Amino acid sequence: MTRGLRVRLVMAAGIFLADGSGVGAADIKVEPGEGGLRQALSAAHSGDRLLVSEGSYSGPIVIDKAVAIEGTPGAVIDAGGNGTAIKIIASGAAIRGLTIRGSGTKGENFDSGVYIEQGADGVIVEGNTFENNLFGVVLHGSKNAIVRNNKIANRSDLWLNDRGNGIHIWNNTGSVIEGNKVTSGRDGIYIEISHDSIIRGNRFEGLRFAVHYMYANNNEISGNISIRNHVGFALMYSKNLKVFNNLSVADLQHGLMLHTTHKSEVWGNFIYGTGEKCLFIYTSAGNDIHDNRFEQCGIGVHFTGGSEDNAFYGNSFLANEMQVKYTGLKVYEWSRAGRGNYWSDNPAFDLDGNGIADAAYRPNTLVDWVLWKYPLAKLLVSSPAIQTLRYVQDQLPTLYPGGAIDSYPLMSPSPPPVAVPAHIDLTPASRDPAQAGSDSRPIM
Amino acid sequence: MSKSEKDGVNRRELIGSGLTVATLAGAGGLATGGAAVMVAQTQTAHAESDDDANHKKALVPPGKLDEYYGFWSGGHSGEVRILGMPSMRELMRIPVFNRCSATGWGITNESLEILTEGLTPASKAYLASIGQKTFTNGDLHHPRPSYTDGAYDGRFLFVNDKANTRLGRIRLDVMKCDKIIQIPNAHSVHGLRLQRYPKTGYVFCNGENRAPIPNTGKFLDEPKKWRSVFSAVDADTMQVAWQVVVSGNLDNNDADYKGKYVASTCYNAEEGITVAEMTSADKDHIVVFSLAAIEQAIKDGKFEEINGAKVLDGTKTSKLSITQYIPVANSPHGCNAAPNGKHLVINGKLSPTVTIFEWDKFDDVFSGKIKGEDAIVGNLEVGLGPLHTTFDGKGNCYTSLFLDSQVVKWNLDEALRAYKGEKVNPIKQKIDVHYQIGHINATHGETKEADGKWAVALCKFSKDRFLNVGPLKPENDQLLDISGDKMILVHDGPAFSEPHDATIMHASKLSPKEVWKKDDPYFKFAIDWAKKDGVKLGVDDKIIRDGTKVRVYMTAAAPAFGLTQFKVKKGDEVTVFVTNVDDVVDLTHGFTIVDYGVAMEIGPQATASVTFTANNPGVHYYYCQWFCHALHMEMSGQMLVEEAGA
Repeated sequence: MTRGLRVRLVMAAGIFLADGSGVGAADIKVEPGEGGLRQALSAAHSGDRLLVSEGSYSGPIVIDKAVAIEGTPGAVIDAGGNGTAIKIIASGAAIRGLTIRGSGTKGENFDSGVYIEQGADGVIVEGNTFENNLFGVVLHGSKNAIVRNNKIANRSDLWLNDRGNGIHIWNNTGSVIEGNKVTSGRDGIYIEISHDSIIRGNRFEGLRFAVHYMYANNNEISGNISIRNHVGFALMYSKNLKVFNNLSVADLQHGLMLHTTHKSEVWGNFIYGTGEKCLFIYTSAGNDIHDNRFEQCGIGVHFTGGSEDNAFYGNSFLANEMQVKYTGLKVYEWSRAGRGNYWSDNPAFDLDGNGIADAAYRPNTLVDWVLWKYPLAKLLVSSPAIQTLRYVQDQLPTLYPGGAIDSYPLMSPSPPPVAVPAHIDLTPASRDPAQAGSDSRPIM
Repeated sequence: MSKSEKDGVNRRELIGSGLTVATLAGAGGLATGGAAVMVAQTQTAHAESDDDANHKKALVPPGKLDEYYGFWSGGHSGEVRILGMPSMRELMRIPVFNRCSATGWGITNESLEILTEGLTPASKAYLASIGQKTFTNGDLHHPRPSYTDGAYDGRFLFVNDKANTRLGRIRLDVMKCDKIIQIPNAHSVHGLRLQRYPKTGYVFCNGENRAPIPNTGKFLDEPKKWRSVFSAVDADTMQVAWQVVVSGNLDNNDADYKGKYVASTCYNAEEGITVAEMTSADKDHIVVFSLAAIEQAIKDGKFEEINGAKVLDGTKTSKLSITQYIPVANSPHGCNAAPNGKHLVINGKLSPTVTIFEWDKFDDVFSGKIKGEDAIVGNLEVGLGPLHTTFDGKGNCYTSLFLDSQVVKWNLDEALRAYKGEKVNPIKQKIDVHYQIGHINATHGETKEADGKWAVALCKFSKDRFLNVGPLKPENDQLLDISGDKMILVHDGPAFSEPHDATIMHASKLSPKEVWKKDDPYFKFAIDWAKKDGVKLGVDDKIIRDGTKVRVYMTAAAPAFGLTQFKVKKGDEVTVFVTNVDDVVDLTHGFTIVDYGVAMEIGPQATASVTFTANNPGVHYYYCQWFCHALHMEMSGQMLVEEAGA
């Protein structure tokens, strides 16, 4: 705080120092020109602010001290198609307001817009525009970073495998990634072996995975939006996550996936129109999954054996082709404290008017499928034919080798827990599971 | 009879056949015609699993034989298992790196010779220091049958030991392990594949873990100096032909169909020690070995001899031009040569893609005409966690998806065309498997004779698929019918720890012996001693005393041993040779000495021997433990052990 205060005082006095040596932090104005930014960097001291004027500056730039580089609109750092545009190797550095473009394409070198090296902690990357890089921001072992309000459009003219991630986070703790928008490249955020972080309010569109998550514990993933990616939120091999108020619209394979993810709370998420599965729960135990809305997907929830001790209540399942695909053999109760979930295909009645259906709901019956396949049959849900099917199944419990039972199904759905932004195409993604491999060609 | 059966309604039929349900509903006078149609449709929703009709495809009725041999790895049980397919019945176990109470593997002289002769001097010294003759555990991942011109030739099955860095060989004429060597300079053998052309040839062993070479206690704190080693072992002599030191580590490998190249995946190009370090890069690589260049470098004397092996430098900085490193997405795993002889599929593991290489393009990569990446001819997103790919010989590939817990079927030609920009969708089908599949292998899928009948999905978890047997659960080897347009799951096969891989061979490829040949080299130890002692093996029942060493020769013919009693002194070193003179099929004898920890199998016409020190005085019965006769219980004798000086 003191440093920021001092800088502000200098500015208020309208003093711009060419060299801040000996007098504490200073603002240094940088104009385009041969090596101008590099020279200014070399002369700067920790705590200084480099105010970069409109114009193009050639990378690579290496930031080796705790300076802030702040661009005025139109200030561009261009790597010229080689290596990394800005490499940060000092703790406490900040980059704001720049347009950063033109990294190389060597994935093995992490060619990127901004690469923050291990040991450079507390770095801030804020309000920048990333264009035509392989990777956008790479946090490679640096801690406590803030990556906020950046716009990232990475190269898509490469094979999917050869593209880079919007924000790539490896071996990191305590970072805040918020308000970023990633619209091309490979994955939006790739996070691996990185704990105690916050991923909040980001938006991802037209990517492979919105959030690709591997072995990262104690993190918050909230308020993010995934639109038409192959996978929305793939949370794998992690524990103690708080996953709430995220929105997935028309992702192809999984809206939200919990794979070997334990002891996490997942609530208030809205998954809409996924081609294959709104929610995939795979060998994930001890999770609290409640008050989410799963709507218009191929499968509402695909739930597999070995996923023990998950609380499942207050969720709304609306108009999914198959509400529940359950591939285990045990029986689970999907309600808590007398409150279950809403099932749009449930031919329920509520004589006592308490909002809870008077009969238990067993998803994944023959009737589910019939109702999805022939929506008009909904008119028949109380018809003798459908009732007979249900009666037969209820009388012959061996028809249920296992599965979920909701003893307290809700009579009405909860409203969408997340507001859908305007101008989003709400057409659900293709239901053809074979679509997965169809678009890994370069987009030229 | 259950109520429903009395009513003429079988519950199974209700699950299996929507039509039956419709009929029932109709019988109640309640169903409309429309409802009957709708219900009949539901059958398709259940058709891919848990269906009696599908399961029947895998049924081989009593008295009928299976069509295929499946060679199953036993993982850290250390053994190989033979399954009949499609019934998935376990037919036999072949002990290799484990100890076997039934057959005496690890007890008999014959097995101990195999288990000890190929150990490195360092391991022999270590084992001696802890009072052991050999290792008692192993971790057997990959059973690989030998080839001639890209097809199984029925000679040998080669198996790796990840735990103690060994390679084993099984003779397929008798289904017994006949040779084991420990690979010097390597640290754990994981990936294992064989030269396919003109024949096996070399056995290619991937040293997975990086360690100092030689590994003698130096450079403990300098992991950058540690190395992985790729070894080629001569299949006939079981001697290391040469080794190549590489950059990064070595995971799985495969050889081409022309005898020119071998490729291996690497998941630790970073050469890191922690999980974080091993995953820090966005790319790992495959390394391609040129056999011709390696053989030339050996001929030119460019090797260093280390621990008796000729070692070449194939690291990234080597000037020998024997290897090429080609970047692929982080942490690739399976490495599978397609039966068309042209393509190599690299499975992405952490990347949801497979990368397809063309073997012939490696010519230009080695000559410098093109970059390694230019040998890539396909790149397909298949699903989450692709680990291994197998083939049906009809142009389709079947990739295991560990994270999705599925098998994905995709068309190779269409994948190549899609890579060129054509609007085709190579993905044909995805099917759930239970749970978390590792390897997948199809009938003859690793040969040019891939026939596309069956595939096995070797799942790492069974979770709730079987009766609960406590916290330790079986694995689940699932059988898929891949003969039609769609894969169909037809069988769940529980398995003890832990099948990693299986190779499947048509029964016509093998004609194992029904009984042993008396002079089989397997009995060399006994034959040599009998010659020295002037004993006619299989005829004479004799005791030869040689100081404190006693050799007991006896025949076994149901229901009697040739000697019903022999006497030794306490402290004598006793060797018992038992020859089964019965030449009846399936008439195996056993020889067990009570309170001596001695037991062995003696197959028809075989000789087995065991050596022990008679330190436990008294009367000790020996008996045949392998049921042989109506008077089997009577097939016994006594070893009388006198107190010394008596």
